[in-house]
Amino acid sequence: MTVPAGFGLGPLAPEIVLFAAAIAALFVHLFAGRRGRRAAGYVALAGIGAAGLALALTPPSAAALFAGHLAVDAFALYFKAAALAAGALAVVLAFRFFDVEGGEPGEVYCLMLLSLIGMMASVSATDIVTTYVAFELFAIPSYVLAGIFKKERRSAEAGIKYFFLGTLSSAIMVLGLAVVFGLTGSTGYAESGRTLAGANGPVALAAMALVFAGLFFKAAFVPFHMWAPDVYEGAPTPLVVFLSTAPKAAVIAVLIRAMTSLFAGQSAAWSLVLQIAAMATMFWGNLAALTQTSVKRMLGYSAIAQAGYLAIGLAAWGETGRMAVLFYIVVYIVMNAAAFGLILLVDRGGRFDETVEGLRGLARRAPLASAGALIVLLSLTGIPPTAGFMGKYFLFTAAVERGMVVLAVAGALNSVLSLFYYFRIGKALFLEEAADAVSGGPGPRPLPAVSRLVTVFLAACAAALLLFGLLPGLLTSPAVSAVLAQ
Amino acid sequence: MTILGIPILSFVVFFPVAGMLAVLFLPASRARAIKLVACVFTGLEFGATLLLIARLDVSSGEMQLVERLPWIKAIGAQYLLGLDGISLLLVLLTSLLTFVATVSSWEAIKGRLKEYYVFLLLLETGMIGVFLALDLVLFYVFWEVVLVPMYFLIGIWGGERRLYAAIKFFLYTLFGSVAMLVGILVLRAEHQTFDWMAMVAAGPVIPAALQGWIFLALFLGFAIKVPMFPFHTWLPDAHVEAPTAGSVILAGVLLKMGSYGFLRFSLPLLPDAARRFAPVIVALALVSIVYGALVSLMQKDMKKLIAYSSVSHMGFVMLGLFALTPMAAKGAVLQMVNHGLSTGALFLIVGVLYERRHTRLIAEFGGLASRMPVYAAVFLIMALSSIGLPGLNGFVGEFMILMGTFPVSWLWTAIAATGIVFGAGYMLWLYQRVMFGPLTNPANESLKDLTIREFATFLPLLVLVFWIGIFPKPFLDVIDKPVEKIIRIVNPAHFEARR
Repeated sequence: MTVPAGFGLGPLAPEIVLFAAAIAALFVHLFAGRRGRRAAGYVALAGIGAAGLALALTPPSAAALFAGHLAVDAFALYFKAAALAAGALAVVLAFRFFDVEGGEPGEVYCLMLLSLIGMMASVSATDIVTTYVAFELFAIPSYVLAGIFKKERRSAEAGIKYFFLGTLSSAIMVLGLAVVFGLTGSTGYAESGRTLAGANGPVALAAMALVFAGLFFKAAFVPFHMWAPDVYEGAPTPLVVFLSTAPKAAVIAVLIRAMTSLFAGQSAAWSLVLQIAAMATMFWGNLAALTQTSVKRMLGYSAIAQAGYLAIGLAAWGETGRMAVLFYIVVYIVMNAAAFGLILLVDRGGRFDETVEGLRGLARRAPLASAGALIVLLSLTGIPPTAGFMGKYFLFTAAVERGMVVLAVAGALNSVLSLFYYFRIGKALFLEEAADAVSGGPGPRPLPAVSRLVTVFLAACAAALLLFGLLPGLLTSPAVSAVLAQ
Repeated sequence: MTILGIPILSFVVFFPVAGMLAVLFLPASRARAIKLVACVFTGLEFGATLLLIARLDVSSGEMQLVERLPWIKAIGAQYLLGLDGISLLLVLLTSLLTFVATVSSWEAIKGRLKEYYVFLLLLETGMIGVFLALDLVLFYVFWEVVLVPMYFLIGIWGGERRLYAAIKFFLYTLFGSVAMLVGILVLRAEHQTFDWMAMVAAGPVIPAALQGWIFLALFLGFAIKVPMFPFHTWLPDAHVEAPTAGSVILAGVLLKMGSYGFLRFSLPLLPDAARRFAPVIVALALVSIVYGALVSLMQKDMKKLIAYSSVSHMGFVMLGLFALTPMAAKGAVLQMVNHGLSTGALFLIVGVLYERRHTRLIAEFGGLASRMPVYAAVFLIMALSSIGLPGLNGFVGEFMILMGTFPVSWLWTAIAATGIVFGAGYMLWLYQRVMFGPLTNPANESLKDLTIREFATFLPLLVLVFWIGIFPKPFLDVIDKPVEKIIRIVNPAHFEARR
């Protein structure tokens, strides 16, 4: 495909804005010094806002750009918006985190924006080489982000783990892509897909398996999830929000694109693979979360389990299935950000308490934040009238429509399982007395200080979840047009 | 018809939410204002539901005052409300009992008042929504909305083992609900709609084998809620630990959601399966009746006794529904109301003693009749109503159920009738141990009789107990057509045989 004459960089305006903001954030951080700790963050937030604006002004087009390497269709725009939202939520939480924990956050914001650019490129990619390059662009900054908190051993460990396993998965994926190229002689999704569909032999399946393994790793689907709990527990909380949401959105987008065109001929195989992955991911994530005592690790496993629900929609496929996935990914980003945000709600003498006990009795001290957290927990469990329920409803509907009742039943059972641990948090917040009041512990614990920023954050996320739960049409109509465009 | 420009059914569903917001914006320190606002809103809500009586055409079994708005286009779910006689009675029961429960909480609830009334009002919206929703997604949403406030009512203001009881309640019912959800999704896949009226109009298009599976899925959701043996184990815990108002609403309304679900959805939408499974369900209902009554006999705690008696009484309701005759089904609907009134009242009665003595152990009491004569009279009437004494409400419902069941099977009728005998046993024995005999426990010497406020909460219940007992015709007229319509769908053979 040839580049249309006079074609500019217009459709890439959001990425360009983000790149400018990333560089600006780095320099602002260098020159603002310790006084303007948040300055770089504000620049990043403004950059995300400007990129969002640019995104809103970008008309979706079906045209293939740059010789068929990128497509800025409604589907890509939807996922770019989702990734930007995840980035913005993480930046806001980063304000709170670095206020309490200290540290040098300037490069954090720069790396987050760079990683976002990679994700936004990957959801547009319609060529296997571009896909791989975009993946590395978002992966490499995220390895650094996971390990950025050098004073914490856990963070350093998380970074190393993420790096080694991440590069391994990239290597596996690139091997799969190489096989695709070897079989088809082309790198575009559409052309390769047509050839692959004809050559539906074991080699094509092997190529698909390798590519999926790489993608599953990044989405933390069981059995490629081993890195996730440690990284989610070790990395600084706002970066966990970022790493557990935005890359997942990007990977899901790439998966959907690959399943639509590149591996369209292998649909029977990937449907089976995704059904198994959905089952394994949901059960593994939820069962492992049950036994955790640290809220952060519990939410880490919950983030894994939530991806399993997404896999139900991918397995069911069809218009409803994809729409459900697009709906749920946005809901997942909000829920997950808010849930991890809860950890940042109170600090005791400059430390965040990551245990369930630390949340006891907070409903009295922080009623608004606790009410917000309750709605988030209900949404995570999938109880109406929240968006989490609607999302699961769509996912299960898609499964039942395709005759995959077993998947729907498994998903429903997992909702019940997840209630056990989500409501340990709800119970601590509302039903139990604060440990300070009970006393008898070793020495007086410092009184928790409630953050106003996080309170507003939780309330806003909860309001969004209620809004999308009561009026899901606000999200489903862009999701449907995104699915139809792609 | 509209109230304040809002269609009346939407108004009665969401008016408690307005009350909830009003309570939310009051400062937590103004306890009196909070209580007053909650009472006013539940009172006005009861008034609003009374307006529905005049709007319902009882000569029709169809859904009336239907409100239909598009809601979720992507899956075709609608905002769809409708009223028939069955819903009307249950909505009235809900608004009355919520009002009574709110007033009865005036003194009983001391801490965290604001949250308490917020949850109570939210609960009311959920319950009324369940009885009016005709779109299955909307129904499910309301069904689940009920869970959360009840969880907190038990978990925050409950007794010693409240945390355990609250999560047990939540888990059991959520498990049932998600099974029901899958059933609803399969129903939708078959009918291509969530609209109850359209499903009924479409007739039995679902193959019998698949109906069976859907029926089982819905059965889990509804049977846990009712609760039927062997799914009843959450109930005694939840009841014993819940605060009085929570128990009143739990027994009075929440259990009816289960039996209502069977009547509204399982019977007309899955008639083949309902007929096929009827003997199994009747068997479980009979076990519930006898088992619940026998276990009640052995209880030491008054609240637990009444909780188990609910298992027995709800067994009667289930027997009436699955005898699949119009007479028995009408008796079952009436019995839902009766059980709500008399068991609700009995929980209030236990609550009165608990507020004064902070114990519910039967052994702690005895001879109270001499100290609390008004209380003794109210207790006696409610106990007799629960037993089914002719002239009181319980008799009418139970009699109709037995009469409607007899042509189907004399054996079922005979087993169920033994439940009434046991019922008289545990209830009269309870009354005897608490009220009669010498007053031996010095702690009971200074017990005060009912206050005016307490008596006022019992008054509407007493009136209804006598009214239904003596002249049940208005109540039966209301449910006559809609119940017959449902039975005609599920058991047409019954009507042919009589012709």
